[in-house]
Amino acid sequence: MTKDEKKPLEQTLGEWKRFIYNPGSGEILGRTAESWGLILLFYLAFYGFLAALFTFTMWVMLQTLSDETPKYRDQISSPGLTIVPKPPGALEFSLNISKPATYENYIDAIKEFLREYEGKKQEHLLQCRNGTFFEQDNIFPKKTCKFSLETLGPCSGLNDVNFGYPDGNPCIFVKMNRIIGLRPQGEPRIVCAVKEGTEVNLATFPKDGRLDLMYFPYYGKKLHNSQCLKSGSFLQESATTIKEPGELSTARSCSPGPVSELQPRSVNRM
Amino acid sequence: MSEARLGLWSSMTSKVHSCSGILWPESSFFPLSQWLYDHRLSTKELEEKYGTNILQGLTNMRAAEILARDGPNVLSPPKETPEIIKFLKQMIGGFSSLLWAGAVLCFIAYLIEFSKDKSASLDNLYLGGVLIVVVILTGMFAYYQEAKSTNIIASFTKMIPRNALVIRNGEKYEIPAEHLVLGDIVEIKGGDQIPADIRILTSQGCKVDNSSLTGESEPQFRSCEVTHENPLESKNIGFYSTTCLEGTATGMVINTGDRTVIGRIASLASSVGHEKTPIAIEIEHFVHIVAGVAVSIGIVFFIIAICMKYRVLDAVIFLIGIILANVPEGLVAAVTVSLSLTAKRMAKKNCLVKNLEAVETLGSTSIICSDKTGTLTQNRMTVAHLWFDNEIYQADTSENQKDQIFDQSSATWTSLSKIVMLCNRAEFKSGQESVPIMKKIVMGDASEAALLKFSEVVMGDVIERRKKNRKVVEIPFNSVNKFQLSIHETDDPNDKRFLLVMKGAPERILEKCSTIMINGQEQPLDESSVKAFQDAYMELGGLGERVLGFCHLYLPEDEFPDNYSFDVESMNFPTSDLCFVGLISLIDPPRSTVPDAVIKCRSAGIKVIMVTGDHPITAKAIARSVGIISANSETVEDIAKRLKIPVEKVNKREAKAAVVSGMELKEMSPEQLDELLANHTEIVFARTSPQQKLVIVEGCQRQNAIVAVTGDGVNDSPALKKADIGIAMGCAGSDAAKIAADMVLLDDNFSSIVTGIEEGRLIFDNLKKIIAFTLTKNIAELIPFLIFIIAGVPLPIGTIAILFIDLGTDIIPSIALAYEKAESDIMNRKPRHKKKDRLVNHQLALYSYLQIGILQSVGGFFAYFTVYTVQGFKPDLLLYLRPLWENDSLNDLEDSYGQEWTKYQRQYLEWTGYTAYFVAVMVQQIADVIIRKTRINSVFQQGLFRNKYIWVGIASQIIIAVILSSGFGSIPVLNFTTLRIQYWFVAVPYAIVIWLYDEFRKLLVRHYPGSWWDKTMYY
Repeated sequence: MTKDEKKPLEQTLGEWKRFIYNPGSGEILGRTAESWGLILLFYLAFYGFLAALFTFTMWVMLQTLSDETPKYRDQISSPGLTIVPKPPGALEFSLNISKPATYENYIDAIKEFLREYEGKKQEHLLQCRNGTFFEQDNIFPKKTCKFSLETLGPCSGLNDVNFGYPDGNPCIFVKMNRIIGLRPQGEPRIVCAVKEGTEVNLATFPKDGRLDLMYFPYYGKKLHNSQCLKSGSFLQESATTIKEPGELSTARSCSPGPVSELQPRSVNRM
Repeated sequence: MSEARLGLWSSMTSKVHSCSGILWPESSFFPLSQWLYDHRLSTKELEEKYGTNILQGLTNMRAAEILARDGPNVLSPPKETPEIIKFLKQMIGGFSSLLWAGAVLCFIAYLIEFSKDKSASLDNLYLGGVLIVVVILTGMFAYYQEAKSTNIIASFTKMIPRNALVIRNGEKYEIPAEHLVLGDIVEIKGGDQIPADIRILTSQGCKVDNSSLTGESEPQFRSCEVTHENPLESKNIGFYSTTCLEGTATGMVINTGDRTVIGRIASLASSVGHEKTPIAIEIEHFVHIVAGVAVSIGIVFFIIAICMKYRVLDAVIFLIGIILANVPEGLVAAVTVSLSLTAKRMAKKNCLVKNLEAVETLGSTSIICSDKTGTLTQNRMTVAHLWFDNEIYQADTSENQKDQIFDQSSATWTSLSKIVMLCNRAEFKSGQESVPIMKKIVMGDASEAALLKFSEVVMGDVIERRKKNRKVVEIPFNSVNKFQLSIHETDDPNDKRFLLVMKGAPERILEKCSTIMINGQEQPLDESSVKAFQDAYMELGGLGERVLGFCHLYLPEDEFPDNYSFDVESMNFPTSDLCFVGLISLIDPPRSTVPDAVIKCRSAGIKVIMVTGDHPITAKAIARSVGIISANSETVEDIAKRLKIPVEKVNKREAKAAVVSGMELKEMSPEQLDELLANHTEIVFARTSPQQKLVIVEGCQRQNAIVAVTGDGVNDSPALKKADIGIAMGCAGSDAAKIAADMVLLDDNFSSIVTGIEEGRLIFDNLKKIIAFTLTKNIAELIPFLIFIIAGVPLPIGTIAILFIDLGTDIIPSIALAYEKAESDIMNRKPRHKKKDRLVNHQLALYSYLQIGILQSVGGFFAYFTVYTVQGFKPDLLLYLRPLWENDSLNDLEDSYGQEWTKYQRQYLEWTGYTAYFVAVMVQQIADVIIRKTRINSVFQQGLFRNKYIWVGIASQIIIAVILSSGFGSIPVLNFTTLRIQYWFVAVPYAIVIWLYDEFRKLLVRHYPGSWWDKTMYY
């Protein structure tokens, strides 16, 4: 139990050098080349085995799945709502009518959002019957219903390319998320209400923020119009717009009809 | 001051000079200024010096003044570390440093995140808080454990207040010994402990036992004459804490409290440094490994993160996160609890451990320096051999002496037994009828007590027989006569003769005899019978036994009629021409369990060295009988005797054994001592002073050995402290020894040390298992974070879930491993090499980290991918999905099936992923705890169900996971979700693979010892 004496630096260095490569025994980092080889080989085999095991179990697991619908949908039992344009902060818009820079981005986002619904792109789509589910369980390939921009009224962008922003009557779009097999009961609609204050004029399009049943149910990406892109033209989601005339406005909220999941959103105008 | 003393100490230990076999420290060591002359002063001068009167004593007033000036006459206890320091020490040592560092890193990481984004996740803050709570809780636990064992010791050492008979104001008072002051006149009598250093003024046959100072247990006379110029040698000084054995004396107090000789030596103990315990060194080594791994992985991934164009601040947070993931949060608690469980088990086996770390130290012990008296021996004189009818008979010396098998039919034995019974002044204390004979308390000296018990066992009811043989007159033993004599009536009513019985030093008894009894017949004592006597005497003496001779004489009835008046003064009866009957030899016999324990030590590669104050012959005899010197090994002297050559010519290498006396030791240079210790496997140090123990301990430590030392005296405390593990005697030990020691042997029995060693070795093995078990899942907790950084998948497991593994599901199983039985006979292997047999070696680290750890991670990822896939996110989509996945404003993230997910829905799925990964790790940790039961044997050889606690642990794992996943865990912050039943079994195939793979590993290790596989895979 003698105390460790401080070794001179050179000796320590020498020991390290000998540890890194020992010419006497041919050891590199304390092992001979052969030993290193064996170790490499072992770990190669071991990890190879692990990779095989992982692949095999994953393969077995994937075999149990269907390509069309996920096994469980319990975590998205109620569809979420998405608003367009996206406010920069959490859920608050603020814009200044006299400064176009504050809302130009919003207009661009809306244009981008609605591009999918342009008439030309929907030409090959089906004109469905309003008010009923478009059941096509046994129809292949699945068809997609047309969404007519006209139903969005002043927010359709057909008449007002600026969606009311310069006038202080901004359009905000609320979209319902796609969920496979969802069949809303009754007449689904998105209800918007004022959160604070009363002096806000709030208009929703289509009328009463209704979501037409013909856009339900959704059959999943693989079966259902797989050619369509993200916020697809098959318009299961209903675009509801909110029109707000009047200069003085306070925060207001919009709560969806059949959907309860959406968190309060507010629109703030300066 | 203490350093100066230390310096003097070392010079003292090497330069001790002796007188009549007693070793006293060089006088220059003690600042003798005060009483250098006290032993030479006349009583007149003493009275003057201390302002006292030898007849009247001090006045009460004067005494009170001096008491106020000098303080009470007690040894001040060694400076106790303040409780708060002890407490804080528990919190910063060993593993705790790792956790503190982790906590600090957590707070740094949180601050960085907070400065970046005010709504930063609080996970790091929680983690930091939990780490601190863990450190404090385990610190408190360890502190409580130590405090508990210290309390047990305290209750043992509770001193009975000692009183002293003092003359003050011309009257005798009985006052508490601590109130004695300089100049007090005290009276002592046989049985008293001398209450202070005293100068003897008058003495009537006063004998003292100085063994607590010198280790020499021979009684020494005390008188009032100066016999040596060194006060320590002079017979007119009585020393504090030594015992007066017989006689009475008065003395003047010349030193009190810490200024006494024993006080000065006791205070030395505090200046001897305590070495770090081996387990503390091992833990330090382990912390280095973990920190090394953590920092290197952290830095590698920091560089990777930078290359992947993460922001530097993010990369720093990753770095800290990786380091934190490597901190084994639960290990401190598991190790502390395991050590204290072992300490508890050892306490049951009579080894009371004061310091938890000492539990393991005992296991790594490679040399035990043991006392003889009381530790190896029973500490009571016992009849060992008898010689009569020209034959030596062996007596049973075991603890109960039940089996006295020698030939009791001879008429000589009848006579001898009568002498033994009658010529004895010892008596049983009354009121012990129900106590077994061997346990009865006897009044009388050790040899007489031994003979009394012996005759009680062999013949029964000695007291009744003595009554029948009424004692007429007796001469007690004294050192001039060296014999003891008594005359009795006989119990035969027809025989009116008196019987004279005598015992004493054999050669003196033989001188007084003219005949010898053989087979009941008196025969003249011729040359051949004298020769036979000499041989027997030599042989028994050579066994280190104390031999007594017995003779008798029936006084002729005509010369000594019934009414003859015997007179002790004039000795009007014959004391020569007696009839020699036999010899009885006595020894303090070894404890019956000791020889086995010594054999165990030997097979365990532990060297047992006997250190005793006794005579070398006795020491050697006991050493032989307990196996410290084995039957076939010889000392240099033995070889010389066998070959009939001078000692100097013997090749010292041939002698395995060595008996070294204190005087020889004193002459040795440290190099010579090293050589002695290195070249002889069986060593006995005899006639050593307790001070020389320190020299021996230091010598052993120079051999790179881990040394255990036993001791009981105040003087042993420096050696106890110096040793790697000091073992104090619970019964015979002094307070100072118990305080200096790391462990207290409650039954003073050497074999308890050996059971302690077994436990210590077992816990070392089991700690390995615990650490291997704990380290494994660390990788399974780290890899998700690495994959998260590199492959951009949603985080597979969160900090809180990790904490629930480390401090929840894994705690009880890891503690349960402490109950695992040894895999093979751990007492058949060598003590572990301090430098080579590490607690955590690279095999353990690699096997846990790179093999089982990785396997677990893969299993965890399988569960994670499964949960995501069944909900719609297939693995290929998950790769690099992180920027979108974590985007707070993206509420329509599309999965593999075209469904859209809000941020909150994704968050919930992420928590389900955490839960699945958590459950997968838990399931695989069940397999892990099962495989860790053994390191080399198959689990089935070990017995799957032998350690019930493992199953308790497994049950706890499952129950905790079920509770967390069934609602309790879904409270905010914890973020557990309910998992479908089938996902609890996703990782089961991996758990089975872990088990099979480890059985395969063990199989190859067992079948190919020494192979590459063995060297690489056996931890």
